[in-house]
Amino acid sequence: MKEQDIPKWPIKLLRQVYSEHFLEEIEGDLIQRFFKDQEKFNHNKARRRFIWSAVRYFRLGIAFRNRKYNTPTQINMITNYFKVAYRVMLRYKAFTTLNVLALSVGLTGALLLFLWIQQEFSYDQFHTDKDRIYKAWNRTTQSGKTEAWSSTPRILAPTLKEEFSSVESTTSVAQWQSKQLFTVGDTRLLKTTGIYTTADFLNIFSFPLIKGNQNTALNEPASIILTESFARQLFGDREAYGETMTLGESGYSFEFKITGIMADLPANTDFNFEYLIPFKFLESIGENDTFWGNNNLSTYVKIKEGADITTVNEAIRDIKKKNYPKDPNAEVFLYPLTKMRLYSRFENGVPAGGRIEVIRMLIILGICLVVIACINFINLSTARAQRRAKEVAVRKVTGAFRYTLILQFLCESLLITFLAAFISIAVALITLPFFNQLIGQQLSLNFDQFNFWLIAISIVFVVGLMAGTYPAIILSAFKPVKILKGAFSMSVNKNFIRNALVIFQFGFAIMLIVSAIVINNQINHVQNRASGYDKNDLIYQPLTGDLGKNYLSYRNDLLSAGVAISVTKTSSPITQRWSSSADIKWEGQKPEENYNFERIYMDDQFSKTAGLTIVQGRDMDLSKYLSDSTAVLLNETAAEVMGFENPIGELIIDNGIEWRVTGVVKDFILTSPHAKIEPMVLLGSKASWALGYVHIKLNKANVIQKQIEQLAELSEKYNPNYPFEFEFVDVEYQQKFSGMKKTQTITTIFSSLAIFIACLGLFGLATFMAEARIKEIGIRKVFGGSVLTITKLLSLSSLKPIFISILLFSPMAWYSMNWWLQTFTYRIELGLGTFILAALTIILIALITISSQTISAATRNPIKSLRSD
Amino acid sequence: MAKEYLGEFEELVLTMVGVLQEEAYGAQIADEIETRQQRSVNLSAVHVTLYRLEDKGFIKSSFGGSTNERGGRRKRIYAVTNTGFEMLRAIKDSRIDLWKLIPELNFKG
Repeated sequence: MKEQDIPKWPIKLLRQVYSEHFLEEIEGDLIQRFFKDQEKFNHNKARRRFIWSAVRYFRLGIAFRNRKYNTPTQINMITNYFKVAYRVMLRYKAFTTLNVLALSVGLTGALLLFLWIQQEFSYDQFHTDKDRIYKAWNRTTQSGKTEAWSSTPRILAPTLKEEFSSVESTTSVAQWQSKQLFTVGDTRLLKTTGIYTTADFLNIFSFPLIKGNQNTALNEPASIILTESFARQLFGDREAYGETMTLGESGYSFEFKITGIMADLPANTDFNFEYLIPFKFLESIGENDTFWGNNNLSTYVKIKEGADITTVNEAIRDIKKKNYPKDPNAEVFLYPLTKMRLYSRFENGVPAGGRIEVIRMLIILGICLVVIACINFINLSTARAQRRAKEVAVRKVTGAFRYTLILQFLCESLLITFLAAFISIAVALITLPFFNQLIGQQLSLNFDQFNFWLIAISIVFVVGLMAGTYPAIILSAFKPVKILKGAFSMSVNKNFIRNALVIFQFGFAIMLIVSAIVINNQINHVQNRASGYDKNDLIYQPLTGDLGKNYLSYRNDLLSAGVAISVTKTSSPITQRWSSSADIKWEGQKPEENYNFERIYMDDQFSKTAGLTIVQGRDMDLSKYLSDSTAVLLNETAAEVMGFENPIGELIIDNGIEWRVTGVVKDFILTSPHAKIEPMVLLGSKASWALGYVHIKLNKANVIQKQIEQLAELSEKYNPNYPFEFEFVDVEYQQKFSGMKKTQTITTIFSSLAIFIACLGLFGLATFMAEARIKEIGIRKVFGGSVLTITKLLSLSSLKPIFISILLFSPMAWYSMNWWLQTFTYRIELGLGTFILAALTIILIALITISSQTISAATRNPIKSLRSD
Repeated sequence: MAKEYLGEFEELVLTMVGVLQEEAYGAQIADEIETRQQRSVNLSAVHVTLYRLEDKGFIKSSFGGSTNERGGRRKRIYAVTNTGFEMLRAIKDSRIDLWKLIPELNFKG
């Protein structure tokens, strides 16, 4: 009868399932039998019988009964905690509401931001082989300045493919946004969303074709690929694949065969097109561009597998210099496609950031929101500690360990966090459409994605634990003896950590308010900046179809009908820069001086129509001076850059043509109102082939609506095949601010969120303070304190941390706002006024928040507060 | 008096508990059944039945002594309760009443 003969593992197994206490008699019986069997039969048979009997114990009849004898396991306790937590939440309804509200606001904001950030990071990440796809950039040094830009010549793509073996394939992608008219039967649509590209485009990028073969779709010159929705717009429910359609552009029309239908582009790509036309088509109508100086499209390169990008860059670097000796410093390099969305800002020719800077801000903002909400929770929980003191004491007395209590309080905070998360998901779902509209994206909550739930649940746990740990530790540290004796009171003034947290919260709020104010001021400032020309009543139209041919009659009719007081032909709208040249030569130009000039072609009516001011010399006038077709006007910056003493009469050479300067115009804003004005040349009408737009100054005397109608009539008369289009210059000018305005809206919204959360916290604290000091206030009143003095006293003590945070965080706000403003050449100066305004706003908001509590505390009947019965 | 009915095995075990008195614990009951009735019985079945009987209130249990044989574990000694005795009496009476009516079972020599 030896102990070691007993097979150990069945006992171990039983102990896993049942508790030891319960198993005592069973094990005893099994062992007794075992020894008997050992003697009666033999050892092996005894073992077998033992094991078999032991195994038979795993039956329901015993398992269910087992519960009665089971010592409560950890799981049982946790269900108890949640039950208690739920009851606690109901008991202290006000506190719970405050907490849940603050947390859900913070979580909603963080959730929306997170979705946005995730979307941004996913741009163009869906292409297979995305790690081998690069965009070609130019880099050059002129007059000591190094610049990099991603517009490249048409001939770069084929050259790279031919001459370098490590290049697998290349494609040119041109997005010229030319207006093209699509005719299918009775349907006529005007579109600018097309790109010209080569056949390799479909092989390099992952834009799948629903119909058509991606290897052959762009082989024929007159072939075109449409996106699914565009095809539906043109053909309705009919099958578009294989059909023909007509494409018209400035007077010419061509027949195309639809050789492919492409799936609609996803939202997270920088490509934006509705149809593709092969370059072969342009070549077939005689437009074959092999000039290395024409940087007017994008070139994408896919390198072979295993090729090292640094070696490739080394090899291709001088390809432009070789073919275009005019620019001796020209370099070509490849930049990864996956970096184009976020890291595409170059400074002095090297990558210096880009959209990623905005994204970083958003990440910080999101984290801030969550942190503020957590701080809130911690503050409110510790403030409430007084109330829970008795409960904690009793629990400890009846045998709770400290860690038990900590677990309990953590469960409470987890429950609150779960509830807040649930609410925030619901709110995010509701507000997502508005948010999408605001930031111009298409975000969505993917409930069916496993990742989503994983991340959501882990965030709930992290936040819940983070926020709940400190209060749990504090609450569980209460000494039962002191509490039950009645001698316990949480010291109101030993609030270092609590005050620190409030300071932090309001610090964030201050920074956000300051940003909102500064952005607002900047926008106003820039909007008020003199544009240099008269935007009012000015419209422009593209000279589509026959409008160009009939220009003179059109113009005459407009003037004689009194619709317009001035009409002019230009190469591009006055609100956009379409052309620039680094190739301009002038008298006295030093050899290393090579500036980039903005360029616009016009006829002699432009200055009058747009309201430009001539500051030197004279405007062009073809009726008086025939030679004015080769005249040029410089803007002030250009005249300065060229260094003429008297620019009038000087000659400049551009594109091989000689132009004579007849006058200097005051600088006007062509592109961005935030940036400084670039030098510009306004060239005369000799380049009549370039003049594709007409600007019309409407007659102020008449009602705009009627004038547009008359304009439409005349336009249709002279251009019946094309739809009537026009743009208001002042409306388009306002759009230059849309980016900034979006930032403004977003900052305002999120600062309001942060302030809301901080105020909720402050409200909770004020409530607690008022309660904790009931006796003190009662005594003060008895001794003659007036409501006013007491209110002042309470308010001041609540506001103290806010003052400190204003002092501490204003310098940080100043620093970061200054840094942001540096990106604009035309900007406001940060004045003290901004900070004073922000500080006052915060103080006002804080006062309003706590006023209800302080006033009610101050007006409380002292008898009631001092009576202790 | 007993409104419920005992299963065959339950009745057997209950009887055994009554027989064994101080030695009425799982392993012993099983051994006795095996020796007296020549049927092999699984230990766990005995235990489950004991629990059921206890739940129905026919027997009660207490811890007894531990021996080396049992690896130092104590036995749980069962004893029949008054309800249990009632039950046994009822069963005995009803059985005998029925058996009396079978002519072949009447007093053999």
